[in-house]
Formats: sequence, C-alpha cells, structure tokens
Amino acid sequence: MSNTNTKDTSSLLTIKDLHASVEEKNILKGLNLDVKPGEVHAIMGPNGAGKSTMGYVLSGREGYSVEQGSALLDGVDILELEAEERARAGLFLAFQYPVEIPGVSNLEFLKASVDAQREARGEGAVSSADFLKLAKAACKQVNLPLAFLKRGVNEGFSGGEKKRNEIMQMLLLQPKVCILDETDSGLDIDALQVVAEGVNSQRSSDRSFVVVTHYQRLLDYIKPDFVHVLADGKIVKSGDASLALELEAQGYAWLQPSDEEGQNA
Amino acid sequence: MSEWLNQAITQAQGVSDWLSPKRDLALSALADVRWPTRKTEAWKYTSLRPVEKFSKTAPASFSKASSLTQIDGFECLDLVFENGQFVTDLAELTLPEGLSIQLASQADSAKQADVLSKFSSIKPERHVFGLLNDALVQDVLVIEVADNVSVAPALRLTSILSLAAQAHTRVLVVLGEHAKLTVSEHYQGNEESLNTGFVEYEIGADARLEHYRFALQTGKAVSLGGSHFQLAERADLNSTLVGFGSDLSRVDVDMVHAGENAFAKMNAFYLLDGKELFDLHATVEHAVPHGTTEENIRIIAADQAKAVFNGRIHIHRDAQKTLAELNNRNLLMSNKAEINTKPELEIYADDVRCAHGATVAEIDKKALYYMQSRGISRAKAQVMLNFGFINELIDQMPNQELAEWLRPQMREKFSQMEVK
Ligand SMILES: Nc1ncnc2c1ncn2[C@@H]1O[C@H](COP(=O)(O)OP(=O)(O)OP(=O)(O)O)[C@@H](O)[C@H]1O
Ligand SMILES: [Mg+2]
Repeated sequence: MSNTNTKDTSSLLTIKDLHASVEEKNILKGLNLDVKPGEVHAIMGPNGAGKSTMGYVLSGREGYSVEQGSALLDGVDILELEAEERARAGLFLAFQYPVEIPGVSNLEFLKASVDAQREARGEGAVSSADFLKLAKAACKQVNLPLAFLKRGVNEGFSGGEKKRNEIMQMLLLQPKVCILDETDSGLDIDALQVVAEGVNSQRSSDRSFVVVTHYQRLLDYIKPDFVHVLADGKIVKSGDASLALELEAQGYAWLQPSDEEGQNA
Repeated sequence: MSEWLNQAITQAQGVSDWLSPKRDLALSALADVRWPTRKTEAWKYTSLRPVEKFSKTAPASFSKASSLTQIDGFECLDLVFENGQFVTDLAELTLPEGLSIQLASQADSAKQADVLSKFSSIKPERHVFGLLNDALVQDVLVIEVADNVSVAPALRLTSILSLAAQAHTRVLVVLGEHAKLTVSEHYQGNEESLNTGFVEYEIGADARLEHYRFALQTGKAVSLGGSHFQLAERADLNSTLVGFGSDLSRVDVDMVHAGENAFAKMNAFYLLDGKELFDLHATVEHAVPHGTTEENIRIIAADQAKAVFNGRIHIHRDAQKTLAELNNRNLLMSNKAEINTKPELEIYADDVRCAHGATVAEIDKKALYYMQSRGISRAKAQVMLNFGFINELIDQMPNQELAEWLRPQMREKFSQMEVK
C-alpha cells in the first residue's frame, strides 16, 4: 500500500495531508489515507489519537476546521460540501456514539434519509409500503425486533442496539465509502457476528470500508486488506492484517519513536 | 412626549361627530400619558423608535388592487379595511339570519348611543395605543349576533396597508346569549406603514367565540393593536394568535371573566427571524368565581429576532375555584436572538388551582448533524426535529381550513431559520 504516486481517480477515498482542529486544538496533523474500491482498511490507535475526529471532519460536523489538505470521495472534493451533500455523495459514518432523537421515529428517519439520497441522485421516491418492506428486511438482518422501527431514533436503545441500528442504516443507504467508528465496541459476541455479517454482505468491488477498532477480534470476522495505526493525528504505521496481531501483542508504545521522525507510511 | 403623538393628537382635536364624547375622553387621558420609553414596564423590551421615526406622508391611496389571501375551503364573509378605510360594500353581503354588520356612523342614534356605551368598556385604558386608536378612529364596525344564533360562515376581518399608510381600525363584536361565531382577524402587508387595530368582543352568557388573530405584518410594517374579550356566564372563548414579527409588532390581549363558569383558552405562537420583533402582552382578569383559563404560548426566535411575552393572570379576591394555567415554551435558535418572557400569576383568592411555567430550549445541534450525515437537508432535519413544537398548536386550531393554510407557511418559514 502506498500513499504516494497514486492516481486519485482509481480511489474511492483519498485523504492527503489533512490537518484539522477543534476549538483551536490541532487534532489531525497530516493524515494520509488512500482507499481503493473494494478495499477494507482497519484503523487502530490509542485513545484520543484522532480516529473519531477523522470521521467527523470527513462527514462535515460543525466546529471542526480544516487547516490544510484535501479529501476526495470518488474524485469529488468533499471538504467544501455540506454534511448532507457528503452523505449524498456516498459517504457513510457509523457513529461511535449514535445520537438519540426522541420524537422522530426510526422509520421516519430512515425513510427521510433514503428519500433525500434518492432525490439527490435523481431517482424516484420509494412508496411508503415498499420502504417498509426494505426497512423490515434490514431490521431483521441486524437482528433487531421490528418494534425498533417505531421507536424514537436510538431513544433508549442499549449500546449494542445503537450499533446495530447504525449498520441497518448502512444497509438501507448503500453508500460508497463506509467509515465504521468502533462499531464493535459494546457488542456481545453474537451481535459482533451479526454486525460483521452485515458488513461482509455489503463488501463489493465498488464499495470500501474504513473500520476503526481497538480490537483484533472484529478483524477475524471482517478481514482487512490494510491495517493502519493512527497516533497523534496521523498514520504512523501501515501494514497488512498481521499488523493487528502484532499490535494486540505489543501495544502502541513501540511505535512512538517513529512518530518523531515524521514517518509518513 | 413624541412628535408623532403630538401630531396625532392635533389631528384628532379638530374632529367633531357622534364619537366625540369618547374621543374627548381619550384625548384628555392622552394629555396625561407619558410617552412610553424603555423605562416603562409595559414597554421594557420593545422600542418605539419605529413609531417615532414614522413620517406620516399624505394619506396614501391604496396602491394595488386589494389582495385577499386565498384560503382553500375556508367559508367566510369578508370584511376588508384598506389603509384603514372600510371598503366592503355591506349592501352586497348576504348575511345569515341573526347576524348584523354595520358601520356605527351610518346607524341610528339609538344604536350609536349603544355603541358609545360599549366603546372602550372592554379594552382597558392603560394601553397607550388603544387610547390613540380611541382618538383617531373615524368609525366603528359593529358586528352583532342575536341570542341563540349560530353563524355558520366565519367572519374574516382583513386589514391591509400599503406603503406610507397610517391606519386605525376599530371593531366591536357582540355575541348574544347562546350565540356562536368565528372571527378571524388578518393583519397583512410588509411595506413601511403604521396601523393600530383594536377589536372588542362582548361574549354573552353561554355563547361561544372561536377567534383568530393572524398578526402577519412583516418587514417595515409597524403594527400595534389588541383583541379584548369580556366573558359572561358560561361563555366559551377559544382564541389563537399567530405572530410573524416586523420592525415593531405589538398585540395586547385582555380576557375578563365577568360571569361565572366561563372558559377562556388562548394559544399563541410566534416565529421570528432576522431582526423581527413581536411583543404580546396578555392579561386575564378573573373577577368572579369558577372561571377557567388555559394559555399556551410557544415562541421560536432565530438570528437577531426579539420576542416579548408578558402573560399576567390576575385572580381577584372573590374569584374562588378559579382554574388557571399558563404554559410558555420557547425555542432559541441563535445566541443573538432574545426571548423575554414574564408569566405572572397574581392570586388574591385562596381556593384556586393555578400553574404557570416557562422553559427555553435550544435546537439539538448534534441531532441536526446526525440527520444531515444521513443525507437529510438541514432545513428538513430542523423541521423533523422541532416543527412539532409549533405544529402541536396548529393541530389544536378548531378550524381545519385555517390550520391547513397556516401550516405550510409556518413550516416554510421555520425551515429557513438557521441555527447560530
Ligand atoms: N470539542 C473538543 N474540544 C477540545 N478537544 C476535543 C474536542 N473534541 C475532541 N477533542 C480532543 O481531540 C482528541 C481526539 O479525539 P477523538 O475522539 O478523535 O479520539 P479517538 O482517536 O477517536 O479516541 P477513542 O479511541 O478514545 O475513541 C482527543 O484528545 C479529544 O479530547
Ligand atoms: Mg473515537
């Protein structure tokens, strides 16, 4: 894997020298990542390294300012777009902490999301009846009882249920690039499999995944093509799936010195 | 004292007609009135500069053909004021049995005496612009419903102003015993203008009034006015007040429980953006026992808008067994917007059930972002998240056609309001 001399056009996601800050605090300090169609990239790294920040910056969360660098999604510069336009361009972020929205039903939320994206692509609306069928199927696929479609978005959902709800949204939205931010944390063993199967069912030659995780275990189910270590705002080490095993055995401490040399993959 | 007020007084002093006794009373009261400033409690948050600045040019003739709002399916009789002039040809209206509508200037002297006895008996004297209206109006539109008569079509009172116009309108509505009526007041126009519009309602025993006031004047239109109600025994009032805000919009509402077992409900909501200001002062007087009052006020203010709500419920010593509830919920969308709210209960009776409360909420930005991250536009997300706040009160409007007419306008305006 190389982040240099890569033709962007063949990549689904290209992040170049990304610097971003929140509340005057620099978090991302020269992040590079290149994801080709069909690839699965795992990102690991210590707490506070900037993994979630990467997802927020890419998805357009308010309050994050980009100082430098670029991010292309399937050739489109997304950093200038509104959050909803990035989603419509095919970006999906499964949140580390999904947001509760009391008063808006999950089904209404899902339908509005799908409608908005279809409309942006110039596709016709799906009828309520047809959508309900799709939603029910997705709900079953992530092993959530159908009652979860009627409940307020994530309202009172357990940690694991929220994560499954994220995957359900991904199944319905069919994005090009999926960033899964610790979707495995808080899942019981069965749920981990359900989520992994959900992801694997979506793997295809024209869709890519960036999987942020702290645990090797998820990667037993979702086999990554590449594993990166993100520390202090940039990728400090990249390798294949075996790197995850190495990290599990040794932790991150051994990687720190290379940071000072400004290593860039 | 303001130049504007002096001019208004001078203008009124020259007039002599059947209304003179009331006009003279108003003028002498005005002579003692201090022009309100921000130090005046009732005007603490609302600057009168737009009134002071208003330069009265020659009375504008009505600039365009009157454009009445089309409301699908709304069955109504239209009564229209253009720049303060009552322009409806009453002879052309076919009125249902038991409903009478006339201009007091054209009524016989017995009727005029009757109107004089009621004029400003329901609207309290403390409203400065009410006094001005007393002094400046040329005529009173009088609407009466006979005992036991239910009027099917609603009455729509529309006041339209064009550029530079200054207009003062006055209406008296009298419902006999067991009478039923729907009145919808519409104030519209957005050009620089100034109007005072006051309506007094006398609601007879067992009568029911369904009332709406759409204070939809926006932009540079300065609008000052009031709706004032007096309820006899078992009278039933259901009032909805909607404000869009302008450079200066102020509405005073008074509801007086004069007879026992009356029921008064008022839902008011305003949606303010830009630099719009809307000020509602509502006073409820429980003078007798067994009265019920329910007030729901919801305000959304964005950008640099300013909302004022002063809600006072005054329960007199004799007003035992009063039930009164005042609920005020507010949504603040920007930290430069202001919502000044003051719900007040003043209770002198000991056996009453009263509650009041006010809350201020903000838009949940995280939820907004979460929805946007799924492709939902900010405007749509905002409507999904918070339009229910206003929509609940739109749903409570007894008249479906008015609700269906209002809802999309409110939704559209709300969806354009930005979280800052
Ligand atoms: N609003 C904020 N103000 C100040 N600092 C912030 C803010 N948001 C995030 N940070 C800081 O940015 C850094 C990166 O946070 P981020 O959530 O991206 O880490 P992470 O790599 O996802 O960690 P974890 O593995 O614990 O999820 C942290 O030190 C965090 O405290
Ligand atoms: Mg994180």
